[in-house]
Amino acid sequence: MSDIKIRSKNLNVYYGEKQALFDVNLDLNEKEVTALIGPSGCGKSTFIRCINRMNDVIDICKVTGNIEIDGIEINDKNLDVVSLRERVGMVFQKPNPFPKSIYDNISYGPKIHGKGESKDELDEIVESSLRKAALWEEVKDRLDEPGTGLSGGQQQRLCIARAISVNPEVILMDEPCSALDPIATAKIEELIDELKTAYTIVIVTHSMAQAVRVSQKTGFFHLGKLIEVGETEKIFKNPDNKMTQDYITGRFG
Amino acid sequence: MTKEQRLKKRHSAEKRFRFYGLASIFIALLFVVILVHNIFSKGSSAFMKTAINVDVFFDQELLGIPNNPSKEQISDADLYDVAIESILKVYPASGLDQENALIDLFTIDAEIEIKKALIKNPNLIGKTITLEITASDDIDQLHKGNYPRELPEDRRRISDYQLQIYDTLVEDNKIVKNFNTYYFQNGDSRDPELAGIGGALVGSFYSIIICLLLAFPVAVLASIYLEEFAPKNKITDFIEININNLAAVPSIVYGLLALQILLATIQLPRSTALVAGITLALMTLPRIIIPCRASLKAVPPSIREGALAVGASKFQSVFHHVVPLALPGTLSGTIIGLAQALGETAPLILIGMVAFVVDIPSTPIDPSSSLPVQVYLWSESAERGFVEKTSATIMMLLSFLIVMNFLAVYLRQKFEKRWN
Amino acid sequence: MNFVLIFLILIFSLSLFFYGRSKTKSISIEQNIKLNALPKFYGYYLVLWCSIPALVFLLIWSLFEPTIIKSIIIEVAANQGAIFNDKNEANLIYEKIKAIHLGTYIGDIDSILRESALSYAKFINLFTNSKIVLIFGIVIASVIYSLNKIKNNNKARDDVEVILKGLLFVSSLIAILTTLGIIFSLLFESIKFFSVINIFDYLFGTNWSPQKAFVNDASLITEAEYAELKDAFGFIPLIAGTSFIAFIAMLVAVPVGLFSGIYMAEYASSKVRRVSKPIIEILAGIPTVVYGFFAALTVGPFFRQVGENLGLTVSSESALAAGLIMGIMIIPYISSLSDDVINSVPQSLRDGSYAIGATKSETIKKVVIPAALPGIIGSVLLAVSRAIGETMIVVMAAGLAANLTINPLDSTTTITTQIVMILVGDQEFDSPKTQSAFALGLTLFIATLILNYIAQRAVKKYREKYD
Repeated sequence: MSDIKIRSKNLNVYYGEKQALFDVNLDLNEKEVTALIGPSGCGKSTFIRCINRMNDVIDICKVTGNIEIDGIEINDKNLDVVSLRERVGMVFQKPNPFPKSIYDNISYGPKIHGKGESKDELDEIVESSLRKAALWEEVKDRLDEPGTGLSGGQQQRLCIARAISVNPEVILMDEPCSALDPIATAKIEELIDELKTAYTIVIVTHSMAQAVRVSQKTGFFHLGKLIEVGETEKIFKNPDNKMTQDYITGRFG
Repeated sequence: MTKEQRLKKRHSAEKRFRFYGLASIFIALLFVVILVHNIFSKGSSAFMKTAINVDVFFDQELLGIPNNPSKEQISDADLYDVAIESILKVYPASGLDQENALIDLFTIDAEIEIKKALIKNPNLIGKTITLEITASDDIDQLHKGNYPRELPEDRRRISDYQLQIYDTLVEDNKIVKNFNTYYFQNGDSRDPELAGIGGALVGSFYSIIICLLLAFPVAVLASIYLEEFAPKNKITDFIEININNLAAVPSIVYGLLALQILLATIQLPRSTALVAGITLALMTLPRIIIPCRASLKAVPPSIREGALAVGASKFQSVFHHVVPLALPGTLSGTIIGLAQALGETAPLILIGMVAFVVDIPSTPIDPSSSLPVQVYLWSESAERGFVEKTSATIMMLLSFLIVMNFLAVYLRQKFEKRWN
Repeated sequence: MNFVLIFLILIFSLSLFFYGRSKTKSISIEQNIKLNALPKFYGYYLVLWCSIPALVFLLIWSLFEPTIIKSIIIEVAANQGAIFNDKNEANLIYEKIKAIHLGTYIGDIDSILRESALSYAKFINLFTNSKIVLIFGIVIASVIYSLNKIKNNNKARDDVEVILKGLLFVSSLIAILTTLGIIFSLLFESIKFFSVINIFDYLFGTNWSPQKAFVNDASLITEAEYAELKDAFGFIPLIAGTSFIAFIAMLVAVPVGLFSGIYMAEYASSKVRRVSKPIIEILAGIPTVVYGFFAALTVGPFFRQVGENLGLTVSSESALAAGLIMGIMIIPYISSLSDDVINSVPQSLRDGSYAIGATKSETIKKVVIPAALPGIIGSVLLAVSRAIGETMIVVMAAGLAANLTINPLDSTTTITTQIVMILVGDQEFDSPKTQSAFALGLTLFIATLILNYIAQRAVKKYREKYD
């Protein structure tokens, strides 16, 4: 049984007048893949954006309640968000590599956080991140080329490598494969499986099949509420909640 | 460097960066404030002029006109003697030098002011009334506090004796300020106390009207063609490239164009509002075309299709349905273009508007000036009185511009439909 | 006379409208013919055909008549025995003849002038009469033609729309005409200039003092005089002065403008932005003559005073004062464009940077600005182009001394200042001095054209990336 890495208690999120998350209590285990499923707009992305305080970027967003990582409250005004995001990385729905070279895309994070002082150190970080993201072999001879010149799947792996480059503990993935073709998707799912040995991964996905394939634990959200959470197998074979059952069997989407 | 140190450094860099941004905005706003304050503080005094109370005796003998004179006889009369006599009574001046010094305290047009009073009321013959005669420019500036009294006499334009007279008059409450009608009614003058923007106002007015009458129809028609009818070919591309370039050509080049073609080749009369209007129209064309096209583009295709579906021709669909919807944006852009044209100076200088024009132009083909050119001309003069007038003219110019810009913004906000 | 003609043409067209419309209506009723268009379009058709050819003819005639008459009369005067050595004297005599005809000439009238004046009267009559006859003829011909067309029941609305479309097309040609006009005006005089002054002497000369060019008629320059003139029209000090002042202006405008744009796009609340953006744009709306006045009256002397107090010699027309004020004027060009350009960088790029743990300023410096760079450079280039072409600020606040200096406390002159100074005095159109102003204008035009082209390309490349 893994330790709890991330825990949320009575988490509520408001976009202006509209409430997006209602009293979410969810524990996420260390070095495990947790999938969050549910119909569109039910708050899954909003939830994971709380974990790395990305909701701060949106002016009208207000978060109340608790989120702890390793027992430390992060929904705290005084928390250094910049350091938090070093420990919690994020990969977005649509790959967003910087319009820089592949090398510079990866070295960006470490340089900012002072993690690679010399060129050699940076080279090493770039190579190891790209290897971990299963992209090294494909791009090792063209590190100077723009990151935006890669295919969709490659770009997303680049973004994963970028997230890895600062040595996070948690990687948040917001529907990382929704913009990719099946082959690229398969590659990334394979990657996730490898990464879980080193990182805690939370993945928001629209595809239930994907959740089954990659995750050990699954949480089902509906209209801003966490309906049910449990072992992936259980959630998909015999969930406790009727709504979960209806969603899984495709009664609503 | 430790992690904490590094973090601290990064956060203070963040604060500094944000500060630079805020400071820059602040600096830009500060410039606006300084400029406006500077101009307004220098110019507000121009709207009043200094005058001296003089008891004027309309001595019939000195006037040399008979009893019950006709209107003509009055307007032909010479009031010089009456003026001098009355002025000399203001202060005990002895000797020619002192008398001249006293006379110099008044405007050159003192005689004309006195005559105007007589023409207005012919019954004054043989009577005495107190008139407010405009003071000379030096006294005007002195009274407004713009003149350095402390300078030694040989470096001043006002002698000690004249200062003496001035102080006495102030004590006797004979120095007053009244509304400066000359500023609005008169044309240019070598004497600052008489100089006015009347000519420049009329000149600017004619120029802008001509600019509007020429530029607006042509620009709108051209925009309609380019947006609605033009085929996508090289010629159309070329026209569009030209329009974009013309918008960025320095204004002085338009002056050269006007000089060569309008003045030298077609030989239109120099320094007239007509030539100015045509030149400004050429400059304003691209400035109207660009917003007009944007407004036309913004009208959704469904409007055009709706009209065509009931059997209208393309022409009718465009002119009856699309153009009216694009009108607010077009008018807004036109007003802004005209505002820019109002402030143009360089091209007008080149077509000769720097001539010294005293009379108010009555038609667009009379020699005239314009507000910004008048500002330029006066700024070249050394007299202090012109500083005040120049600043006041700038105030007038800026006021017009502010009103026009507000009108443009109001038009756009009130009448423009947002299509999404 | 022209106004009368225009008035008559318009009145006639108007009456034709009513005639055409009503006649068409009545004929279609009488003879039971189905019209191919509404009656009013037949009216419009007649109006357009009646007025447009005649008005265009009148316009072209009036444009060229003065020049043609002038050359004819000068010929006549020469044949009468008048002697003139150059164009200016010829013009003078022509003006005298004109004045005699108008009855405003005060002075002695010799036989040459009298005869010429009589010829002038004759020719004016001839031209005016021919003009009236020709217009009359054109109107009649057009009316006959169009009435004929109507008789054949043409599709009047379509025909009208074709004509109107032609009008629209011609309107848009105005842009090309203007450009052609500019190029023609500049080239015409510049070519005359470069036939006297070698273009390399111009482009690479380091001395600009056009007062040396006392010569009135270029054809009379001797070798010796040319040698002197050669050195009078060197362009280098002007481009140096222009660039120097523009450089100082950019030193002010780029940091302030760029940081203002960044702050408004990234940090400012919508309230702050709504207030500050229009106020900064006020700076762009203030006429440059106002800036010039402020610079000449307040800033220049202020700098000189401060300089004196610090023991420095500062000219009251320092490049620093002119450059500073010009920079202020340019701020909104850079801040507005940068604001727009930065705003259109996709949020996803910023999110990617924030998610890695970068601060806002690091994100702006390392991700947003590099992404927006082509657009920002475009805006800077446009601003430079504006600075180079600026006239009033430098005319009023910069000096007239064409020196090559890099001391901002000195005064220096610019291309635009020289153009104004040369043309504000008396203009003898055939002296190299006046022509040099056009050569300067041509150089300026080409320079700004190139800058604008590069700037537009840069902004276009940027838009393609993100739109």
